[in-house]
Amino acid sequence: MSAALTCSAADLSSLLGPNATAAAEYICGQLGTVNNRFTDAAFAIDNTYLLFSAYLVFSMQLGFAMLCAGSVRAKNTMNIMLTNVLDAAAGGLFYYLFGYAFAFGGSSQGFIGRHNFALKDFPTLTSDYSFFLYQWAFAIAAAGITSGSIAERTQFVAYLIYSSFLTGFVYPVVSHWFWSPDGWASPFRSPENRLFGTGAIDFAGSGVVHMVGGIAGLMGALIEGPRRGRFEKSGRAIALRGHSASLVVLGTFLLWFGWYGFNPGSFAKILVPYESGSSYGQWSGIGRTAVTTTLAGSTAALTTLFGKRLLSGHWNVTDVCNGLLGGFAAITGGCSVVEPWAAIVCGFVAALVLIACNKLAEIVQYDDPLEAAQLHGGCGAWGLIFVGLFAKEKYVNEVYGAAPGRPYGLFMGGGGKLLGAQFVQILVIAGWVSATMGTLFFILKKLDLLRISEKDEMAGMDMTRHGGFAYMYYDNDDESHKATQLQRVEP
Amino acid sequence: MDIAATTCSAKDLAVLLSSSNSTSSLAAATFLCSQFSNISSKLSDTTYAVDNTYLLFSAYLVFAMQLGFAMLCAGSVRAKNTMNIMLTNVLDAAAGAISYYLFGFAFAFGTPSNGFIGRHHSFFALSSYPERPGADFSFFLYQWAFAIAAAGITSGSIAERTQFVAYLIYSSFLTGFVYPTVSHWFWSTDGWASASRSDNNLLFGSGAIDFAGSGVVHMVGGIAGLWGALIEGPRIGRFDRLGRSVALRGHSASLVVLGTFLLWFGWYGFNPGSFLTILKGYEKSRPYYGQWSAVGRTAVTTTLAGCTSALTTLFSKRLLAGHWNVIDVCNGLLGGFAAITSGCAVVEPWAAIVCGFVASWVLIGFNLVAKKLKYDDPLEAAQLHGGCGAWGVIFTGLFATKRYVNEVYSGDGDRPYGLLMGGGGKLLAAQFVQIVVIIGWVSVTMGPLFYGLHKMNLLRISTEDEMAGMDMTRHGGFAYAYNDEDDVSVKPWGKVGPTSQSSTPTPTLTA
Repeated sequence: MSAALTCSAADLSSLLGPNATAAAEYICGQLGTVNNRFTDAAFAIDNTYLLFSAYLVFSMQLGFAMLCAGSVRAKNTMNIMLTNVLDAAAGGLFYYLFGYAFAFGGSSQGFIGRHNFALKDFPTLTSDYSFFLYQWAFAIAAAGITSGSIAERTQFVAYLIYSSFLTGFVYPVVSHWFWSPDGWASPFRSPENRLFGTGAIDFAGSGVVHMVGGIAGLMGALIEGPRRGRFEKSGRAIALRGHSASLVVLGTFLLWFGWYGFNPGSFAKILVPYESGSSYGQWSGIGRTAVTTTLAGSTAALTTLFGKRLLSGHWNVTDVCNGLLGGFAAITGGCSVVEPWAAIVCGFVAALVLIACNKLAEIVQYDDPLEAAQLHGGCGAWGLIFVGLFAKEKYVNEVYGAAPGRPYGLFMGGGGKLLGAQFVQILVIAGWVSATMGTLFFILKKLDLLRISEKDEMAGMDMTRHGGFAYMYYDNDDESHKATQLQRVEP
Repeated sequence: MDIAATTCSAKDLAVLLSSSNSTSSLAAATFLCSQFSNISSKLSDTTYAVDNTYLLFSAYLVFAMQLGFAMLCAGSVRAKNTMNIMLTNVLDAAAGAISYYLFGFAFAFGTPSNGFIGRHHSFFALSSYPERPGADFSFFLYQWAFAIAAAGITSGSIAERTQFVAYLIYSSFLTGFVYPTVSHWFWSTDGWASASRSDNNLLFGSGAIDFAGSGVVHMVGGIAGLWGALIEGPRIGRFDRLGRSVALRGHSASLVVLGTFLLWFGWYGFNPGSFLTILKGYEKSRPYYGQWSAVGRTAVTTTLAGCTSALTTLFSKRLLAGHWNVIDVCNGLLGGFAAITSGCAVVEPWAAIVCGFVASWVLIGFNLVAKKLKYDDPLEAAQLHGGCGAWGVIFTGLFATKRYVNEVYSGDGDRPYGLLMGGGGKLLAAQFVQIVVIIGWVSVTMGPLFYGLHKMNLLRISTEDEMAGMDMTRHGGFAYAYNDEDDVSVKPWGKVGPTSQSSTPTPTLTA
């Protein structure tokens, strides 16, 4: 318990004059106490902020579970929701045991971390449990994304294996490269060691989270092939519609809600003045990040609404939801270092990128039930490029530490070095994830552990592997099926 | 950059203090003063961090009400229109972000300005924001979340029969102009009726007190909805040829309850968050009592009003209709919240119970009136938000306590307060003025808009589309597909879409 600050003028004045030494010690002691209390307050406030942000990011699991459930056919609902629950649970365990250490275990050579396995020697000077929990919430988000690409046709044991490997190793290594102060491509590295003098800027993970999840999903979906019935022999695409648009919208809104922890929370601390005593501080940057996030998603949603109206002739709610999420995935990389108007540009282009990636997928007969590779992979990559174009000098220096001549966005006059680093990030992530997850999925396929049988796929996995259907709208006793009919009710 | 540590060397300071040299004592004094100044800056930083955390998380909670309202709407309409209404909810939020960012926020809070509408150029598209302390991005986000709540309310009244382009038009107009103007009058420091007006020219010496928006948000949304629903008329089948009301039941009570609970959850950002800051002491003699206490008290009054309204509705409907009705209880709950929203910060908890009790009867009463006048509102939005909102505004004029009014709203400490608490009639008069001007303003703006859309055939959908359901005709297909295309055998769960094999009787057309 911190000591109370008391000051007795009578006591002090009797000390001044002949007993100045004691007076000075008294004053200094009090100032020291004040100092300690400020330090305590700062930790309490920053931990509150980070913990609640972590809970918000966790709520994105709810959102993604609902989005997935609504986007698949009713006969596979139990299966996909179980994978979502397990992503979080298995992820918790593996990230604790190895993942966090690989990601943030300090003093490494830049490729992978090597301390704090099972949170040994924790908390450190710079990281407390709130930071671990926050990073765990991010790790399970990446694993969740991948489950969307391989939905409706993948064996459950394959889910468990890929998910643990992704959360425990593949993803943490990537986050080490770009987010650890030791990472070879990290913008937090000491100035003389930064890639191209800047490091790649991916504030909350357009690349680290979304591209990783999306590319892993791409590998899985490519290797196991499309769902039966998705592409006819003539090559025509058949929409295998999800069973509940309500769940899709509910899930999308929950993801939107959670994104306010994902993006602004990535500052990790809120009590950081830029100039002590001024009303402008890190809290302003955090608020601005919430605003850029909102504007990017909203613009992507509106662009998709009108784009799809032109392309397909009607107003499509599930497409608008996907467009919205694509906007968020794109702004995630640069949310803290761009102006609000730039976020509108980001969202607009993200919508077009998603539509284009979907067209491409159709042409090459690639089937992804949640459009995860297109949305998280495609819009995530656009998001990284966007940062290289629109990052503002002032914000880059505030967020990543001021350095004279620090590169920033090309269109803002900052030269091409940041954009160069962003391209390196895209290539390296695509390469690493393809090599690791591609190999894993291929081995699973060779061992006959990846795809389910044709019979099981037609009957639906809930019936064949999960004990029964997800929905029971009428009772076993109810012969007339009255409960499910929509009837007029007389007054 | 962390807060700079203050260093203090006792030895050096002692030398300075013990000397009788005036230069030394000046140096000592300068040192001490600079330390105090340092402490002051650190306190200021801390306060900004705490208050922004509080306001941002409150904003996220208010945003969560969009989810809640989307689910409430979805569950309250028929399955064939689910995609349509949920799309309008998503679009309210998205289009609202753009229009509020570009104009709405400036009209609402641009300062300095006149009493009618904000106009400072630096607020349009947040061009040089934040330009002064007291308003940061967290404030913008919070106000945006409120603006889209108002637009969402209106969509409930015109559900199941309105063209999508009409939604886009009314929503942008409401969020970008109509609503911000009203919020300027009652919430801006320049607003002519605002209780926080800075130039001491308070309406009736009081200003109207609408803390979190029973009038500004709920009445605006509800009256706009009233005009839309009146002008386009009831849904087909809602009132039969004899004038009897036919309930067009919503398709999912689970979604209604989920939505209601999410709205309740979000209301903890809507009401207590309207304090905007939390780190403020009120009385030196009681250091544990400060704005944080008022924030907590506001969360309590909110809770009590909703609960009381829910219970009252439960028992009244049991008496009136003969059974315990969960949908009605949910609506009653929300009516209680809409009512307490105005006075949540300035009344005692026991008064909130009175508020909720009356709100329940107000809602039941307005629903009976609607039935009599053959007014159809799928979400009872005009009755709930308009009616209970208006009651909430009056309630504040009756029950606001002297102590809380003077704590929440600055001044000489002698502001008018609730009539029944001994505060005279001035506040109540200002509340009545608020009700009248809101009804008037929203009617003259949204009424003609809806009428114009109606005249241009852009408002209501065609009869065929209404019978088939808008999801099929305009949104690419049904919301629900419980049966697979590959599925030839009849599966053990029921079909919940109007397929040709269904035995759902088709509603008869009224003349």
